[in-house]
Amino acid sequence: MKDIKVLGTGCANCKATIALIEQVAKARQVEVKVEKVEELREIMGYGVMSTPGVVIDGKVVHAGGIPGRDKIEQWLAA
Amino acid sequence: MQDTDHHPLPDAKQYCPTLALRKANEEGALLVDVRERDEIEALALDVAGVINIPMSEFERRHAELPRDRLLVLVCAVGERSLKATYLLMYRGYTQVANLEGGLAQWVRKGFPVKGDSTAVAAGGCACAKAIPAAGSGRC
Repeated sequence: MKDIKVLGTGCANCKATIALIEQVAKARQVEVKVEKVEELREIMGYGVMSTPGVVIDGKVVHAGGIPGRDKIEQWLAA
Repeated sequence: MQDTDHHPLPDAKQYCPTLALRKANEEGALLVDVRERDEIEALALDVAGVINIPMSEFERRHAELPRDRLLVLVCAVGERSLKATYLLMYRGYTQVANLEGGLAQWVRKGFPVKGDSTAVAAGGCACAKAIPAAGSGRC
């Protein structure tokens, strides 16, 4: 199971990012655990200045803006 | 051990204006103002040794800051600068602190500024709603 964290202080883009990841995971039948990280100190513990940020299995794969569907598909296929 | 980008950070140090000014005057601390240029043109800290690196350029330019001096990060109300403080901590800076309450608190204390001090009270940034109530940031 992929451990996914979405970093952001609760903005609309963060919520949209979570929804999109869950949607793609469901469509591709990939098991994921998606967690929101909203506390600034925790977010900055990944060195991410632009949110939403996405962390998969401990690695930052995205920072700033809603990621594209194709990008999410690549993450989940890897 | 798992390879990870996560470096757990302790809580950032928060300085009140009095402590920040004392550190600047007596211990050579640098005040780092992360507000944008138009905000600084309207109102600036009137203290020797202020460095301006706007938040929009901070990720790219933070390495310009010395690692061997105490750095006190400043913005309008202390929110953007807190983020900048944590970024420096993440990048391995050990002598960093945030100006709690930002320039708004600095102005309330009557500390030296150049420009129109109502500019900050009017809310120089998107996080203006976070300005603490008068007196709540006393130190």
